[in-house]
Amino acid sequence: MNKLWIDERYCKGCLICVDVCPKKALKASPEINSKGYILPVEKDMKRCKSCGLCEVMCPDFAIAIEKAEG
Amino acid sequence: MKRHPMLKYLKEEGPLGPRMPLIFCPGCGSGQVLNYTLHAVDKLIEEDEVRRENFLFISGIGCSGRITSHYLNFDSAWTIHGRALAVATGALLANPAFKIVVFTGDGDTGSIGGNHFIHACRRNIDVTILCLNNGLYGMTGGQHAPTTPIGTITTTTPYRNREAAFDLCKLAEIAGASYVARWTTAHPQQVIKSIMKGLRKKGTAFIEILSQCPVHEKKTPVDLLKGFRRNTIRISKSKESTDGKTLIGEFCDLDRREWNESYQEIIDQFVMENDKIDE
Repeated sequence: MNKLWIDERYCKGCLICVDVCPKKALKASPEINSKGYILPVEKDMKRCKSCGLCEVMCPDFAIAIEKAEG
Repeated sequence: MKRHPMLKYLKEEGPLGPRMPLIFCPGCGSGQVLNYTLHAVDKLIEEDEVRRENFLFISGIGCSGRITSHYLNFDSAWTIHGRALAVATGALLANPAFKIVVFTGDGDTGSIGGNHFIHACRRNIDVTILCLNNGLYGMTGGQHAPTTPIGTITTTTPYRNREAAFDLCKLAEIAGASYVARWTTAHPQQVIKSIMKGLRKKGTAFIEILSQCPVHEKKTPVDLLKGFRRNTIRISKSKESTDGKTLIGEFCDLDRREWNESYQEIIDQFVMENDKIDE
């Protein structure tokens, strides 16, 4: 299963990644972080096909998808 | 921990401490355009078409001006308002091997730098101009710009804008640019392909990227991107009517003579004459 990495120092919670994901593998976090941002979290990473659209469209270079081996 | 693949091209640490996160507001289109540009540049570097030290990034003033020298781990220059293209012309004349990318905003290109812009297109200098058009002056407080569409509310047009907007793509096309295209931040793959095409093109490549300003347009970035997808139409699909939508796509793709090549002829001519005198 692919793994989602969010750099919490860089992410500003615009949630573009949640919207553009074609498989809807991400969702907005229910919690607000210490900076006041709502970060994206994993919803169902089994659906992730690692197309990389979230990485391409991220304005803050905060998201990365680690491909599962094999 | 895996990190974003394009962070290898950015300066995360500076002499005065960390430079990241980017200065832009949450969901700003400038960060997205930077990301698309780095993807295009990364592909060219990996295909060994252009060497990393041959890239030069130049920007003017405005939100778009903050992209280059603050964050990019390439040769870059942060120049005066509207004059990024003048600096690019000088850099190109000094070193024709440079692959120059100019980041400008709509105020930078359309208003204060308008003359530099049309004359750069007229000379057809070998630069790739990326114009981040958000339709207002974002950094100074959301005032109306020459590119603000009719009927938009901004801080200086509270009763809606009455002036017609500038069509920068048509201006570039008529002024003589080799390659003209318009996309939005909601079209990532098209923007990346267009930037690669522009960098490969000899001559001026003008790519206007409609970008969102969530702070002054007072909407969420996700809604603004959906609006871009809804309110734009491809040139190929708009033969009968545009339905009042904004045209996107490639406006022209010509092979015109590049400015530096014509100058090289004069230089060669003088070199030949000098050789004759020496004999």
